[in-house]
Amino acid sequence: MTALLEVRNLSKQFTSAGGPFRKARAMHAVNDVSFDLPKGRVIGVVGESGCGKSTLARLILRLIEPSAGTLRFDGQDLRAKSPGEMRRLRARMQMVFQDPYSAIDPRYTIARAVLEPFKVQGQKPTQLPAEEVAALLSMVGLSPGLASSYPHQLSGGQKQRVGIARALALRPSLLVLDEPTASLDVSVQAQIISLLQQLRDELGLTFLFISHDLRLVRYFCDEILVMYLGRVVEALPDTDAAARHPYTATLRESTFAVDPKQRRVITPLEGEVPSPFDLPPGCAFADRCRHARAICRTDTPALVAHDGHAVACHNPL
Amino acid sequence: MTMLEVRDLEVAFGPIAPLSGVSFSLSKGETLGIVGESGSGKSLAAMSVLGLLPLSGGRITAGSIIFDGQELAGLPEPAYRKLRGGRIGLITQNPMTSLDPLQKIGPQVDAVAVLHLGMTSAQARARTVDILGTLRIPEPALICNRYPHQMSGGMKQRIVIAMALAADPDLLVADEPTTALDVTVQAQIIRLLDDLVKERDLALVLITHDMSVVAQTCDKVVVMYAGRVVERGTVTAIFDAPQHPYTQALIGCIPGAAGADEHLTSIPGTVPTVLNYPKGCPFHTRCAHMQPICTTDVPAFVSHNDSAAACHFAGDMK
Repeated sequence: MTALLEVRNLSKQFTSAGGPFRKARAMHAVNDVSFDLPKGRVIGVVGESGCGKSTLARLILRLIEPSAGTLRFDGQDLRAKSPGEMRRLRARMQMVFQDPYSAIDPRYTIARAVLEPFKVQGQKPTQLPAEEVAALLSMVGLSPGLASSYPHQLSGGQKQRVGIARALALRPSLLVLDEPTASLDVSVQAQIISLLQQLRDELGLTFLFISHDLRLVRYFCDEILVMYLGRVVEALPDTDAAARHPYTATLRESTFAVDPKQRRVITPLEGEVPSPFDLPPGCAFADRCRHARAICRTDTPALVAHDGHAVACHNPL
Repeated sequence: MTMLEVRDLEVAFGPIAPLSGVSFSLSKGETLGIVGESGSGKSLAAMSVLGLLPLSGGRITAGSIIFDGQELAGLPEPAYRKLRGGRIGLITQNPMTSLDPLQKIGPQVDAVAVLHLGMTSAQARARTVDILGTLRIPEPALICNRYPHQMSGGMKQRIVIAMALAADPDLLVADEPTTALDVTVQAQIIRLLDDLVKERDLALVLITHDMSVVAQTCDKVVVMYAGRVVERGTVTAIFDAPQHPYTQALIGCIPGAAGADEHLTSIPGTVPTVLNYPKGCPFHTRCAHMQPICTTDVPAFVSHNDSAAACHFAGDMK
């Protein structure tokens, strides 16, 4: 099985400009991330806010420029492409954004929003078959009658469906989904997740699914990458694999069961995710880890795979 | 001992009645979860208890709110001011906006004890340091000299909790206290609230959209939909044998709730807005078991073991 997307040692460093009252500082939003996304698979990326998961999504589509590393999509080196070539390639790799309220221009009708990708690719809407908008809207479960509506007339769930229809307009093979249900109610989230599953089966899509919700990722994805402060700390080959990194174990413990009989005594992890600026040497998780040893504070653990299950920890569980 | 009893509460904003027939009760040492999706009226129910409706132009048109034997519906504002922040504490959803960004943490928390307990500022500060300590905030005396922007989200939420506790309340209303927080921090805050209810014998109203938070912390549950209570009962009854189709769907919507490989239940359509609340049963427009009677008659509550559901066919469905 060949990988549709190959990510190697991808890094992104942001610098904050200094000023009269502070020094310039650098932070690694994404640090040395590598993984393969095979065709037809769904990989979930989980982590708390600030772990770099959304930056990773944008780097993959080169919406922001990586600082280092290589990206190969269907065998082609993405970082060697010119902006024009990259734009044409993005017809095959699309993104669905978290907030459907701000992802669609409020002055565009739904039809115009859904046809925007064709315009970006240099096609005039008049060259398209007349039933294109209706076909796209039906594909995501919307009534074609909504084509002449404006975004403010739609509910959050309907807007996210428009976002998905727009991402599918050019018939891409890879969809990067950045928290597509985070701003929706649970009943609507379930509708969107079911729709994505159905589209994946019908169109043979490959997904990179970014989320903070471990429960959702476990339900929806085939493999899971767990990120902490810009690094992948664990790559689970299947969703039921036992956690080997203490952070993954903590994330799982912090997710409550939806059953009062399985209530447990929570022993919360102390502290919060530290500032990504000027990280100390060693494992970024060491200060919060119950199993930290001396080596954890001096050497950064490498991501080492064993039977397809990779973990970056000196002292895995 | 019953601390709070809300009976047949109806709230109106002009000609619109976003809340009607809301009843629930809560004793000391108990946690009551009010659960529902956005627009279900759960925050409005909390605002009614806190007497904050007049601020946004609403008023209680029917029903009663009895807090520790005292009727709160129609209570004049000066009397409410004494209760609010005093015997009734509020924890809001977004700690980023409920703290004054221009004032240090210490004075913000001190003000509660000065106002409600008549303490001097020195006494109040000693008390603040003490409370921050019990909330497991490291170096509380130092934190008092910090500004909100110097603290993380989880720390700010602890400060908001400290303010709610500063006047030794009997009732705590927490409106989505963990929604803005990351999962590991959410676990810390939920553990903290749990401990406070037990240690201080508080009555806690926990408003949330998250069924897993309810399952983890609550003793009783009220499920709201379109401004009405559709089901209420003990937490075990609600999760073991939900009787209302909406409650069943709400649990079925959560990935993994019904078992790892079960398909998600999705509810077609969206929550109605207050301007188009359906007639009859509020849920009939999205319900898979809808019958003609559901479109015309508001269903009465049917009891089943330790719960009651407002559905014409409660008990007949699996």
